Amino acid sequence: MSSLALLLSTGLLFAPGAAAAPLEGPLKPLPAVPVLDSKRVELGRRLFNDPRLSVNNSLSCASCHRLDKGGADTVPHSLGFDGKPVAVNTPSVFNASLNFHQFWDGRVETLEDQAHIVVQSPSEMGSDWKVVVQRIADDPAYRTAFADAYPDAVTQSNIQGALADYERTLLSANSRFDQYLAGNTEILDIEEKYGYQRFQEYGCIACHQGVNIGGNMFQKFGVLGDYFAARGNPTEADLGRFNVTGEEEDRYVFKVPSLRNVAVTAPYFHDGSQATLEGAVAVMFKYQLGRTPSEEDKRLIVKFLKTLTGEWEGKPL
Amino acid sequence: MKVSRRLSILLLSALAVLLASILLFLYLKSRSDQTVTYTESRDLIRQIKQQDSLWENEILKARVAITHNYDPLVSPLGEMTRLWQKFDSIEAQNQRNDSPLWRNAHDGYLNAIKEKTRLVEQFKSHNSVLRNSLAFLPTAEDDIQQALARMADADKLQLQNIATDTYDLLLSSLEFAQVTSDDRAADILVGLNKLAVNKERLPTELHGLIDTLSNHVELILREQPKVNRLLEEIEVVPVDERLDDITVLLNRDQQQAETVDQQYHFYLLLFSALLVLLLIWLGIRLIRSFAEINQMNRALVAANDELEQRVEERTRQLKDTQSELLDTARQAGMAEIATNVLHNVGNVLNSVNISADLVSRKLRNSKAQGLGKAMQLINEHKEDLGSFLTEDAKGKLLPGYLNQLVEAIDLEQQGMTEELNQLSKSVDHIKDIVATQQSYAGASSLLEPLSISELLEDALRMNSGALTRHHVTVLKDYADVPRIMGDKHRLLLILINLISNAKYAMSDLSNQTRNMTLAAAVVDGETLQISVRDEGEGIAPENMTRIFAHGFTTRKEGHGFGLHSCALAAIEMNGHLTAHSDGPGKGALFVLQIPLIPAEGES
Repeated sequence: MSSLALLLSTGLLFAPGAAAAPLEGPLKPLPAVPVLDSKRVELGRRLFNDPRLSVNNSLSCASCHRLDKGGADTVPHSLGFDGKPVAVNTPSVFNASLNFHQFWDGRVETLEDQAHIVVQSPSEMGSDWKVVVQRIADDPAYRTAFADAYPDAVTQSNIQGALADYERTLLSANSRFDQYLAGNTEILDIEEKYGYQRFQEYGCIACHQGVNIGGNMFQKFGVLGDYFAARGNPTEADLGRFNVTGEEEDRYVFKVPSLRNVAVTAPYFHDGSQATLEGAVAVMFKYQLGRTPSEEDKRLIVKFLKTLTGEWEGKPL
Repeated sequence: MKVSRRLSILLLSALAVLLASILLFLYLKSRSDQTVTYTESRDLIRQIKQQDSLWENEILKARVAITHNYDPLVSPLGEMTRLWQKFDSIEAQNQRNDSPLWRNAHDGYLNAIKEKTRLVEQFKSHNSVLRNSLAFLPTAEDDIQQALARMADADKLQLQNIATDTYDLLLSSLEFAQVTSDDRAADILVGLNKLAVNKERLPTELHGLIDTLSNHVELILREQPKVNRLLEEIEVVPVDERLDDITVLLNRDQQQAETVDQQYHFYLLLFSALLVLLLIWLGIRLIRSFAEINQMNRALVAANDELEQRVEERTRQLKDTQSELLDTARQAGMAEIATNVLHNVGNVLNSVNISADLVSRKLRNSKAQGLGKAMQLINEHKEDLGSFLTEDAKGKLLPGYLNQLVEAIDLEQQGMTEELNQLSKSVDHIKDIVATQQSYAGASSLLEPLSISELLEDALRMNSGALTRHHVTVLKDYADVPRIMGDKHRLLLILINLISNAKYAMSDLSNQTRNMTLAAAVVDGETLQISVRDEGEGIAPENMTRIFAHGFTTRKEGHGFGLHSCALAAIEMNGHLTAHSDGPGKGALFVLQIPLIPAEGES
C-alpha cells in the first residue's frame, strides 16, 4: 500500500508539466457556462432573435447585439425602432451575465431587468409588455414551447427569464488569455506578457480586474481630467449614474466595462467616441490614469488586450 | 339486544375518534412549523450576517490594497440578496408582514443594506483610484528625481531643494495615506504649492512630470479623506443591528410560540397520561376477561374430556355387550341348528328303529325253524328213509313241505334285505345331516363359490323335519341365478332363521294350508335378492321398526336375537335385510339383498 502511494507520488513528481497550476492575479479566468434548462435557453435564443419584441417588429435583441460582431454592433450609436440613434453605445452581450450591474449607468442589476428596460425603452424597442406577451402567445410554436418549459406558459417574467437564461450561456470562452491563466503560459508571446505586465503596472487593473476584467465597479469618467469638457457636446447620457441616483457624487460615473473581447467591440466608451483600441487606451491613460505612457507601452497593452478575445461556437470572435 | 349492541359500537367509535382528534389537535398545536421556519430563518439571518462580515473583510482588504480584485466585494452582496429573498419568502408565508414591528425591522434592514451598498460602491470607485495613485506616487516622484538628476547644467543647490521638496511631498502624501489629518493635509498643500513654484523654475519638458505628480497628490489629498469617511460611514451602517433586530423579533416570536407549544406540550402530556391510564385500565380488564375466558375454556375442555371418556366407556360397554350378544346369538343360532339337526336325526332314527325292529321280528318269526323240524323227522327214519318218504303218511308230505319252506325263506330273505336297505339309507341320511351341520357350524366368513338353489335346498333340508312336522308346503320360485361368491355360513344362518320364523309364524294356522314361498332373483344385475314369504300371523305396524332390534321377540320361548343377528350378518355382507307386512294376520315378507358377486370363471 505505502509502496503504491510512493510510486504514485513519484509519478506525480515526474509528470510532464502540461497540467500547470492556474495563475493567481487580479484577472480571473472565465467561468464555465452554467447548466440551465435547455428548453428555456432555446426559447431565449428564439426570443433574442425575434423582432416581435419591438413595437414595430423592426428590431430584435440580435439587431444590435450581433453575436458575429462581438455581441454588439459597429456603430457608435445603434438605431432604435424608430430609426433614431440611441443615447449610448451598445455594450457587448457576451459575458454580460458577469457584470455586477447592467447598462452603462448600471441602472439595473439583473439581465431580466435589462430586457425589461430595453423592450419598454421609447428609444430602443419602444414596445409594451402586453403587446409582446400577446404576440408571443399568439404564436402556436412559442405557446407549446413555453408550456413545455414553464408551468405558467407565456408571461412577461418567463419571456424575460428565457432571454436572461440564454444570455447567461453567452460566454466567450477559451480566449488566449484565459488559456494563459489556466496555466498554458506558452500561449502568449513575450510582448503580450509584457503587455499584461504594463496593464498591471500602469494601474489599469485598478478598475479592470476580476473575472470580467471590469464590470464589477462604478468609476467616474475623468478621474484625472475633465473628459467631457475636452470632448464637447455634452449630452444627458454623459451624466451617467447621476441619471439613476440623482446624487452629485455620481455625476459622470459609469459602470467600468468589461475588457473581454475589447478588440472586436469597437467603437469604444459610452459615447462610442473612439473607433480604435489605441485611441481608447490613450483616452484611458489621459483621463483615468493621469499618466503619459510610452508608445511602446501603449502598443504592448493593446497587444495584451487583443489576447482577451474569446470564442463563440468554436470560432474566435 | 342487537340495536343496543350497534349503538354501543357507534358510541365507542365516536369516542375513539374524539380521543384521536384531541390527540392530533394537541400534537399539531404543540409543534407549530414556526419552530422549523424559526431555525431556518435564524440560519438565514446568520448566513446574511456572515456574508456581511465577509463583505466588510473584503472592504478592509481593498482598503489596505492587499487585493486588486473587486469581485469579492460584489459577490457577498449578491449572496446576501439571495439569502434575504429566501428569508423574506419564508417569513411572508408566516404572515409576518402584517406586524408593523416586523415591517419596521424588515424595512430597516433593506434601508441599511441599500445605504451600505451605495457607500461600498462609492468606496470601490474612490479606493481604486486612490490605491492606484498611491502605488504610482513613488514612480512619479522617481521620474522627476531622475529627470532632475539628468539636468547637469542647472543650479545644483536649487535642484537639490526641488528634489527635497518633491521628496517631502511624496513622504507627506504617503504619511497622509496612513494618518489622515488636517495638519498633514496642510503640509501637502504647502508641498503642492512649492511644487507649483518649483515647476516654474524648471524647464518645460519637466512640467508634464510635475503635473502628473501633483495631479496624483491632489487626487490622494482629495480621495483619501473621502475613502476614510466612506469607511467610517460603512462601519456605522447598522446592517448588523438591523439583522439583530430581526433576530430579536424572531426570538421573541419563537419564545411566544414556544410558550404556547409548551402549554400544548403539557396538555398533550396530560392527555397522553390519561390515555395511558385508560389503556392500562382497559388492559387490566382485558387480561381479567382473558383469564376468565381461559378458565372457562379449561373447564369446558375438562368437561369435554370427561364426556369423551364417558362416551368411550359407554361405547366400550356397548361394544362388549354387543359382542356378548353376538356370541349369545351365535350360540343361540348354533343351538337352533343343533335342535334342527337333532330333530332330523331323531326322525330318521325312528325309521332306523322301525327297520331294525322289523328285521329282528322277521328273524324271530323266521320259517327257518320249520327246516329243523323236517330234519328231525328225517333223522328219526334214518334206516328206512326211502320207505318213510314213500310210505309213511307224514313221510310222503315231507318233500312238499320242504319245497314250501324254501319258497317261504326266500321271501323272508327278500323282505329283510329290503328292510336292511331302508336302514342303511336312513343311516346315510343321518350322516348327511350331521355332515351338513358340521360344514356350517364354523364362523368362517370366507367367500366361496355358491349355488343359490343348492344353498336354499340345504337350508330347507336342515329344517325339513320341522317343516314336515308342521305340514308346511314349501313353494319355490327360483329365478336363473348364477353361481356367486358368498359367505355360506352367514347366508345359511339368515335362511335357516327366516325359514324357521316363517314356520313358527304359521304354527297357529289350523284350518288352512301353510304355504311358504322361497324366492331368489337378481335385481338390476348387481343385487342378489332372496325372499321368504309366509302366510302367517304377520307383523303389527308398531313392531315393524323393532323386529330387528336386540331382544325383540313375539314368541314365548324366543330370545330375540335371531332377526337381529340376521340383520347384522346381512350388513356384514354389505347387504341388508328388510321386512314387509300388510298387518297382523296378513303374512310377512322378509327380503335379503346382498351385492351380487358372480363366482370367478363363471358369469
